[in-house]
Amino acid sequence: MELFQWFCMGILFVLSVAALSYLSVVVKLKWYTLASLALGAFLILFGIGWAGASFLEGIAQSGALALILFCGSGVVLMTLTWRFLVAPELSKQSD
Amino acid sequence: MSNEHDDTKAGDANDQLEPAGGGDRREVDALGLDNPARRKFLTRTAVGGGAALAGLAAGYGAIEYSVQGRPSKNYPEIDEAIFKPKDQRDVVLTFANSKALNEKHPERNEQYNRLQKKEFDFVAGFRDMYAKPWDNNKPGYTQMDRALQLAGWHPLGVAGSRKSANLQPNTPLHSWDQSDVEEEQYKFDDKQAASDAIKSAARVFGAVKCGIARQDKRWDYDPLYDLETNQELSWEEDFPFKPKSVIVMLTPQDYDCVATAPAWTADGTYGAGYTQMGIQADQMAKFLRAMGYHAVSAGNDLGSSVPYAIMAGLGEGARNGTLIAPLVGPRIRICKVYTDFDFVEYDQPHTWGITDFCLSCGKCAEACPADAIPLPSDKNGGYGFEPSYEFSDEPGYTWNNHHGIKKFYSDAKKCYNFWVENGGGCGACIASCTFNEPDFWHHKFILGITPASPKPLHALMAQMHPAFGYGHTNDPAKAEKFWKTGEGMRVNSSMKNNIGTSNKS
Ligand code: SF4
Ligand code: SF4
Repeated sequence: MELFQWFCMGILFVLSVAALSYLSVVVKLKWYTLASLALGAFLILFGIGWAGASFLEGIAQSGALALILFCGSGVVLMTLTWRFLVAPELSKQSD
Repeated sequence: MSNEHDDTKAGDANDQLEPAGGGDRREVDALGLDNPARRKFLTRTAVGGGAALAGLAAGYGAIEYSVQGRPSKNYPEIDEAIFKPKDQRDVVLTFANSKALNEKHPERNEQYNRLQKKEFDFVAGFRDMYAKPWDNNKPGYTQMDRALQLAGWHPLGVAGSRKSANLQPNTPLHSWDQSDVEEEQYKFDDKQAASDAIKSAARVFGAVKCGIARQDKRWDYDPLYDLETNQELSWEEDFPFKPKSVIVMLTPQDYDCVATAPAWTADGTYGAGYTQMGIQADQMAKFLRAMGYHAVSAGNDLGSSVPYAIMAGLGEGARNGTLIAPLVGPRIRICKVYTDFDFVEYDQPHTWGITDFCLSCGKCAEACPADAIPLPSDKNGGYGFEPSYEFSDEPGYTWNNHHGIKKFYSDAKKCYNFWVENGGGCGACIASCTFNEPDFWHHKFILGITPASPKPLHALMAQMHPAFGYGHTNDPAKAEKFWKTGEGMRVNSSMKNNIGTSNKS
């Protein structure tokens, strides 16, 4: 089960890197926008890894809190970055 | 430095999304990228992914490096003015098991009862402990829990070494008899090979960690005391040889069983741990004697186990009085083998920032049902060369502590008193410890970043431990959960459930 978790994390990692690269190609992004998105993705992956391990060890409370704290802050960071830094660039480009 | 990716020509890609006039249409793929943009995408994916992987690998390497620990220059800190060798008769477990010592020092029991407002009988304690009736409606205190408790300790009793837990020297498993020492001595090529061989053997005998320290008078009980005959024993005249090295081995205890503390259930794994100590120490001693060297094994007897384990580089001394071994925490038992074999690479004390962490943590003290462990808010945080717990300035009250060593001092008399009231060994300070974790990567990560993390963060980390669902004690649900953890044991696909180590051989 643990190996399966790491395998899934690997896929998610590759998808995240590809998604960020794609975004950087199609939209003109400042370096800190990319860094912020990368940090958000890292936090989400970290939270998933932590939660997976916690559920495997049978401490569900740790898993739930990891999802809230790490994944939650990752999602918030990515959402804010998208809303304030990526979306304006996108609309600028489509004008 | 530019704030933009200068090579990012977003327009390049964007242009492709719109039909270019004049019939100069470039081909785009399913992602809407033409050839140059696709190349850029693939390059960035490879470079970005590679950089991220390199970062992760560096982080992993740093954590792996950190959990090896750093050599500690500070251990031991001794105040020579007050330090003297520890008389075995002044250890609670020996005192409580000797009618003769109780008759010699009635003032100890009297003072304890007067100050603590108790009617406790030290010498009757162990007899009363297991006589407490079970209650099948109380999880953790049922007949089945009592049975686990008795079964855990049983082999040690059968072997005649049950009292080694109370520091009785020279019991059958830890015999001083050297009549089977081989005449021919096996010679190792070099010291490292000898150390490696001893540690390989230790793993076969069931040790989860093993280190080798020089024999050190400061940690040996002196004089030793035979509880059966009420006789003092001398290292020079009674011990069968002059020891030079002490091999220290750690025996793991079951995570889910310890988690039930202070219920009787937990005593099952403590008893099983003591039994394993007896067996593996005996095996190691025999291994050395069969190679032609003198060796005597020991459980709690002969010397103080925690400082020897620290000297052997296995962990650090903690607030709860135990050794905290990285990746296993305090969930271990310590056994030792004294030998005259000294052609070995000795281990050195190491630090992982654990003692430092204890200064701001105190979760064990909060969990202790006997209030035997000092809190960080107590005088000196309970850390110093002498005890500072309640009544420690009453003359003679700290008779059981080994003064003059910088460490956390707890009141073992109150601890023992609670065991008797509880009807079994407690260990809530082990179960609640911030370093008592199962074997998963995120705990290794936390251990790895501990030495580098600033002190104020330690208190926060200690608070987060219970918030994340770890370390709760006195919880009947834990006993109920424990009795279901056998599910899946036919296959047992992980092995983490019964060892709890880092999976390193
Ligand atoms: S074993 Fe129990 S009573 Fe003793 S110090 Fe630990 S928590 Fe306190
Ligand atoms: S609970 Fe905290 S203070 Fe107590 S031994 Fe463990 S780390 Fe140290």
